[in-house]
Amino acid sequence: MIPRRRVATCLCVLLSIQSVPAVAGPEIPGPPQDHPIALVGGTLHTMEDPPEVGSTILLERGVITAVGKDIRLPAKTERIDVRGKHVYPSLIASNTALGLVEIDAVRATRDLNETGSVNPNVRAYIAFNPDSEAIPVARANGILLANVVPSGGRLSGQSSLMMLDGWNATDMVLRPTVGLHVQWPRIDSTNNDREPTAELAELLRQARGHARARQAASGDVHDLRLESMLDVIEQRLPLFVHADELSQIQSAVAFCQREGLKMVLVGGYDAPRCSGLLKQFGVPVVVTGTQRLPRARHDAYDEPYTVPARLEAAGVMFALASEERFSAAAVRNLPYHAGMAVAYGLDQEIALRAITIRAAEILGVADRVGSLSVGKDATLFVADGDILETSSQVERAYVQGRDVDLDNRHKRLWRKYQRKYQLSSP
Amino acid sequence: MIRSFLTVGAFTAMFLGSTQWGTAVAQTKPVVGLESRTPAIHALVGGRAVIEPGRVVENATIVFRDGMITAVGSDVAVPEGAQRHDLTGMTVYPGLIDAFSETDVASDVAGAAHWNSGVMPQRQLADVLKSNVAANPKLREQGITARLVAPSDGQIKGTSAILLTGDVPLAQAVVAPRVAVHATLTVRRRGRGDGDAYPGSPMGAVALFRQTLYDSQWYLNARKAWLADPTLPPPERDDALAALAACRDAGLPVVFDAADERAVLRADAVGREFGLKVIVRGSGREYRRLEAIAQTGRPILLSVRTPKAPNVSSPATARNVSLQQLMHWDLAPENAARLSRAGVPLALTTDRLEDVGTFRKKVRTLIERGLDADAALRALTTTPANLFGVDDQLGTIAAGKIANVIVTDGPLFDTETSIKETWVRGKCYEVEATHPVDARGEWQLLLPELKSESGVRLTLAGESRKPSGSIAWNDEKLKIANVVVNDGSVSFTVAASPWKRDGQALLTLPLNAPAPTEVWSTGRWPDGTPFELLARHTTPFDSKAQEGHDDGEADDGEADDGEADDGKKDAKKQDDKKQDDKKEDDKKEDDKKEDDKKEDDKKEDDKPRALFDVSFPLGAYGRDDSHPEKIESVLFYGATVWTCTSSGVVEDGWVLVRDGRIAAMGSGDELPDAKLLVDLKGKHVSPGIIDCHSHIATDGGVNESTQAITAEVRIGDFIDPDDIAIYRQLAGGVTAANILHGSANPIGGQNQVIKMRWGVLPEELKMADAPPGIKFALGENVKQSNWGDNHTTRYPQTRMGVDELIRDAFRRATKYRQRQADWNRDHRGLPQRYDLELEALAEVVEGKRWIHCHSYRQSEIMALLKTCDEFHVQIGTLQHILEGYKVADEMAKRNVMGSSFSDWWAYKFEVYDAIPYAGALMHQAGVVVSFNSDDAELGRRLNLEAAKAIKYGNVPAEEALKFVTLNPARQLRIDRWVGSLEVGKDADLVVWSHPPMSIYTRCEQTWIDGQRYFDLQEDLQSRQRDQQRHAQLVQRILASQDEMLKPGERDSQEPELWPREDLFCHSHPHDGDDDEHLEQR
Repeated sequence: MIPRRRVATCLCVLLSIQSVPAVAGPEIPGPPQDHPIALVGGTLHTMEDPPEVGSTILLERGVITAVGKDIRLPAKTERIDVRGKHVYPSLIASNTALGLVEIDAVRATRDLNETGSVNPNVRAYIAFNPDSEAIPVARANGILLANVVPSGGRLSGQSSLMMLDGWNATDMVLRPTVGLHVQWPRIDSTNNDREPTAELAELLRQARGHARARQAASGDVHDLRLESMLDVIEQRLPLFVHADELSQIQSAVAFCQREGLKMVLVGGYDAPRCSGLLKQFGVPVVVTGTQRLPRARHDAYDEPYTVPARLEAAGVMFALASEERFSAAAVRNLPYHAGMAVAYGLDQEIALRAITIRAAEILGVADRVGSLSVGKDATLFVADGDILETSSQVERAYVQGRDVDLDNRHKRLWRKYQRKYQLSSP
Repeated sequence: MIRSFLTVGAFTAMFLGSTQWGTAVAQTKPVVGLESRTPAIHALVGGRAVIEPGRVVENATIVFRDGMITAVGSDVAVPEGAQRHDLTGMTVYPGLIDAFSETDVASDVAGAAHWNSGVMPQRQLADVLKSNVAANPKLREQGITARLVAPSDGQIKGTSAILLTGDVPLAQAVVAPRVAVHATLTVRRRGRGDGDAYPGSPMGAVALFRQTLYDSQWYLNARKAWLADPTLPPPERDDALAALAACRDAGLPVVFDAADERAVLRADAVGREFGLKVIVRGSGREYRRLEAIAQTGRPILLSVRTPKAPNVSSPATARNVSLQQLMHWDLAPENAARLSRAGVPLALTTDRLEDVGTFRKKVRTLIERGLDADAALRALTTTPANLFGVDDQLGTIAAGKIANVIVTDGPLFDTETSIKETWVRGKCYEVEATHPVDARGEWQLLLPELKSESGVRLTLAGESRKPSGSIAWNDEKLKIANVVVNDGSVSFTVAASPWKRDGQALLTLPLNAPAPTEVWSTGRWPDGTPFELLARHTTPFDSKAQEGHDDGEADDGEADDGEADDGKKDAKKQDDKKQDDKKEDDKKEDDKKEDDKKEDDKKEDDKPRALFDVSFPLGAYGRDDSHPEKIESVLFYGATVWTCTSSGVVEDGWVLVRDGRIAAMGSGDELPDAKLLVDLKGKHVSPGIIDCHSHIATDGGVNESTQAITAEVRIGDFIDPDDIAIYRQLAGGVTAANILHGSANPIGGQNQVIKMRWGVLPEELKMADAPPGIKFALGENVKQSNWGDNHTTRYPQTRMGVDELIRDAFRRATKYRQRQADWNRDHRGLPQRYDLELEALAEVVEGKRWIHCHSYRQSEIMALLKTCDEFHVQIGTLQHILEGYKVADEMAKRNVMGSSFSDWWAYKFEVYDAIPYAGALMHQAGVVVSFNSDDAELGRRLNLEAAKAIKYGNVPAEEALKFVTLNPARQLRIDRWVGSLEVGKDADLVVWSHPPMSIYTRCEQTWIDGQRYFDLQEDLQSRQRDQQRHAQLVQRILASQDEMLKPGERDSQEPELWPREDLFCHSHPHDGDDDEHLEQR
C-alpha cells in the first residue's frame, strides 16, 4: 500500500520511478479502512471553523472520529505527518457529466441525454461508468464526490451523488437520487399564446392524478415517468432548474411556488439580479462556473467572475460548480472556478465552502460529507498548498477512509514518455 | 429623323397607356387595324418647376412631345396642338429615381457557363426579366419614375438595367439595358450538410471574386494568344470571363453589397486592388465609421429604411437589448444626413423596404433627422442619373430628357404635400385626382327614422383620399368605418344599431364637384333595403383644426389602416412635445436665464437628434475616440517586473516607454522622467499575453470548408475590430493574437496576426510586421470524421490521404512556379494563369509563408514532418499538438515549435491521449512551447493556463510565463517586436494585482504600443456611462411609441453573424449572446 501511495504522489515520482512496473496498470480501488489513520500537524480546513494550523484529524472505519490539536490516537494508528500541508474535505462537483461521457465526439461513449424531452424517471448512476478515465483525473485534483447529472430535453432525469472510488457504480453511490433536473424554457415576456411552462404544469397535474389513482389501488395503474415525479411533488426531492436568464429564473421561482416544489437553481448567471426573490423563497443556486463568457455583449467582462461575490453579498445560498462544457473532462478545474471568484471579490473561505459544505447542503448530503466534522465520512484529501491555486498538488486522498490511488491516465503517459526522453534519473 | 416612326404604335399605346420610345429604338411591329399618328404634346403651364435640385423656375411652362421634354422655361410658348395642363399653385419636380431594387431572375444562363455557378456577369437583367414588374403603381405614387433593377442572387450576379415605372411592355421600359455589374463579397450562412458549394464563407467569396477578375484578364490574353497561334491548345471557352472583361472595358461600375460598415471598406479595398469603379449598396450602418467611409469617396446606394425599435417592453427584454442595438435604433435615421454632410455621394433607394408605399415618409424621416431636403432630392435624381450614366436622359427637367416629372401641391418632402401626378415618359399617371372633391369637413345628414332636431352630424377628417370620422346626434356618437373615396363619391359604413337593426349600414354620398353643398345620397340597411337621405355639407375641412380632431378620433380607439395610424402617432408626438414644453415652462420659472439660453439652442435646431454620438466601436465599452489618447512617454515604476528575458523577475523595477516602445528599464529609486508616471508599488508587470491560436475578431466565419484546399482565402479580409471579445481579451491581459482559419480542411486559409487595439479600423488592428502564415490541419476534422453521415466522399477520408493531398499540393505549387518562370523567360504557349491558391502554396514551399498546422496524433505529425523535410519546408508551428509529447524529439530536431492547449482532452478520440504534461514534456525536450486558447473564453485567462505548466510537469514559473508571452511571439516570428520586456520592443504590457500566474490575480491595466487600452477605472466609468445610455434609450423608445420588434425577433437588416470559433475543432454548447446564431454545423 505504501509504495502505491508514493507512486501516486507526483512529487515523488522522480524518486520512485524504479519501484513501479514499467507501465502502471489502471488504478485499483482502495480496500476498506482496516486501521485508524491520523493526519498529523497539517492545516485543517474543516469548513466549520477557520483553518487551523498544526492540527490533526483521525479517521476510523471510514469515518472522522476526532479533529483537533490534542487528540488521543488509538493504538495501531497509522500516523501520517502532514505538517506544512493542507487538509480539505473532498471538493464536490455539483453539476457534472463525469462517468456519463468518455469522449464527447464519440457517440458510443455518451450516456448523457435520453431521447424525448420528458425523462423524469431516468437515473444517472445507472449509466455511471466507474472505469471512466476521467474519474482518476478528477480525483487527482481533490474531487472525490460528484453529482452526476443527465442533460438534454426538458426533464432530463435524476442526478446521483457518486463517490469517486470503488469497483462498481453501486459501491460508489452516496445518494442515488439527488434531484430531478429540468432545463427551463426560454420565456418570451409578451408572447401570450401559451405559457412556456404549461407543459410542465400539465405534467405535474398528471403526476398528481396518477398518484391518486395509485392510492385508490384500482389495479392497472402504471406510468414510470409520472411515478418518478412523486418525490419532487411531495418535496422529498428538489427540482433542479437549469436556467441563466432573469426571465427564466423569475418564471421558475414563481412556478415552483405555485406548484409547491422545492427548487434549486442551476446556472444562475442572472441570479444576482433577482436575489431578493431567491432569498424570499429560499432558493439556493448552483453557479455553473465562473470561467465562462458574459452572456450579453454589454455585460461587464467580469460579470460571470463576480456572480458568487454578488450572491454572497445579497445573502443568497449558493454552491459553485465547474463549467458545463466538457463537463466530465474539465471537472478537475473546479477549484479554479472558486479561485477566480476570490480574485473577483468573494471571501476565500466562502469560496471553499461553495465547493464543499454548501454544495453538500444543497445536494442534501451534508449529513455525510462536506466538512471535516466528527461523524462524517472520511472523504478528504491532503494538498501541498492552497487548493485554489493552480500550482498546488494533491498528495493523498481518502474516500470513506479508503486510501485512493491518485495515479491516472495522464500521469501514466507522462511517465511513459519521460522514459522515452530519459528525463528521469534512475 | 425617325420621329414619325416613333408614333407608329399609337394604337398599341392606347391600350397600353403609353407613348413611344424616345430616341434610338423605333417599333417594328406591323400596324394592326387603322394607323393613328397623333403626336402626344403636353404643356404643363403655370406651375413652379424645380428643374433640378436647387434650381427653380417660377410660373414655368414645360413642353413634352412624344415622351420627351422639348422645352422648359418661364417664357416658353405653348405649342399648337398641345394639351394644356394648368398647374397654378402646383410644383413640378424631376421624376425620382430609385437607385436600387433587385429581383429574382433565372440563374441558368445560356452559353458556356463559369465553373462556379455563382459567377454570372454575362447575365443581363434586361435580357432575363420576364415582365415589367407589378410594383409600378405604388412606385409612381411615391413619385418614382425610373429605377435600377438588379438580379438578386449569385456572387457576381450580372448586370442591372434602368427601367421606367410606366405601365408599358418591358421593351419600352428599358432606359439603359446594362448599367452596372452587381456583386457580393459574402455568402449567406448555410447549415453544414446542405452547402457544399464553393464559396461557403465570406472569405471564400472575396477569394472567388479576386480570382475571377484575374481569370477574366487572363482569358482575354489567352484567347488573343490562341487566335494569334491556332496551334496552341485553346483556352476553354467561358462566357462569364468574357462578359466580365467586356464590362470592365465598357467602364461599368461594380455595385457591391455591403451589409455593414466594414463591408464598405472591404469593397473599397478590393475595388482599389483591381481599379474598379465601385458603388456600394449600403446598410444604414455607415455612420459607425463615417470618416473612413467618406475617405474612400465611394458613392453609396442607401435604403431609406430605418430599423424598428428593439423590444423593451419588459425589464427582462430591455436588459437583453444591447446598448449597440439601442444606439443603432437612435442613430441610424441620421446615417443619411451624416454621410451627406461628410460629402459621400448618396442615392436613396427602396431597397429592402417592406412597404414601398412608405418611401416618401421614410425620406421625410431622414430629413427630419438632419438630411438636407435638396440633398435628398439630389440623391433621388441627379446623383443616381450620374452614377449610372443616364444623366443625359434622367434626373432633371431639361429639354432632350425623358419626360419624367412629378406634380405636387407643395414642397415635395413636406408632410402635408401630396403628389398629384406622376408623369413617366410623357404619360400622366394621376396619383390623386388633380382637383379632387374634398369630402372632408362637417356634413348634416337627414336620416330617416332617427329623431333629432339638428339631424345627424357627420365629421370627415384625416387625409382627403382616406378620411376617417364619426356620426353624432344629440349626445350620441358612432365611428364610421370602411371609408372609401371614389372619384365622385365617398362611402362608409356605420353600425345600424340606432335604427334597431343588427349589422352595418352602408352609405354613399355623391360629391357634386367642385364644391359639394347639398346632395341626395343613398343608403342600404343591413338587410339590403335601400334608402335615401339628404346630405348637406355644412362646414368645409379646416386643415389647421385637424390636429385636435384627430386626437379625438384616436381616443375613440379605432384606426385600422396604416395611414390613419400614422396620423395618430404624429398627433401623439405633438402631444408629447406639448407636455415637454409645458415642463420646460415650469422649469423656466425656477431658472429663467439658464433656460432662455437653452430655449435659444432649441430654436437653433429643433430637429430631433440621436441622444449619443457614435462610439468606437458602437455600443458598450466603445471609446469616444477611435484611438486612445497618445501619451508621449510613460514611466511604470515600483513594480515586480516579469521581463521574460534573461533578466528574469526584477523587484522594484521600472519600465520607461517612449513613442510606443520600451526606451529603458531598471530598478530602484533612481527614476528617469516621463510625461506620465504610473506608480505600481505592490503590483506586477508582465509582457502582453500573446494567443497563438484564436478566432476572435473575425467577421465572416473562419472555415471555408467546401474544398480540401483553400489556400486562397484570407482571414485578413474579414477582421472585425468591433468584436467585444477584443475588449474582453484586453481585460485578461492579451495584447496580440494569431487569428487562424479553421480546421475543416487539410490546407485552410491565410492567417492574420492582430493586436488588440480596441476601437480602431480593421486594417489598423493588423500587426503589420507579422510575417504571413497559413492554416494546415490534419486528422479527424479534415477527414470529416465527425461531420455526419453525408460526408464520406471528399478526398481525403484517412490520414494516409491527408498526407498525399499535402504532398500533391506542394508539388503542384512547385510546378506552378516553374511554369511561371518558363513563360516569363520565353513567352511560349498560353500565358500563365495567376492562381491565388497556388501563389499561397508556392510561398509556403519557398519559405515565405509559415505553416500553422492543427495536429493531434503522432502518426500524422510524423507524416507532416517527413513531407516537409522532402520539400525543405520549415514548419511555423504545430497547433494543438496534443500528442506532440510523443514525438517531441523529432520536433526539436527540426526546430518545429508547438502551440498547445494546457489541459484539454477527451473531446474526441484523437485527443484521448492528450495530457496536461505535454507542454512540460515538449519544453524539456527542447521544443519552443506555447499555450493557446482557440476560444474566446479561455483566451482571456491564458496567464492562468500558463500556471498549469508549473502544476503539470514542474516547469519553472518564469519559463511557464513564457508559454503565453515570448514563446508564442517566437512561434509567430514577431519576437523582434513583442513577447518580452526589453529595450526596443513594443510597449505591450500588463499590470497585475498579484503575481501574473496566481489564481488570485486580476489584470488591472493593459497597454499596447505604449497606449492604454484597458484600465479597471476606465472600465468602471464605461459601465456607468453605458448603463445610463442604455436606460435613456429605452425610455426614448417607450416615449416614441415606435413599433417594436417582437421579443426574440431580429431586425431583418441585421448583418449575419458568423461563428467566431472553429466549429469543426470542438463540438460543445457555447454560452454567450450569440447562442442562436452559432448553432452547431
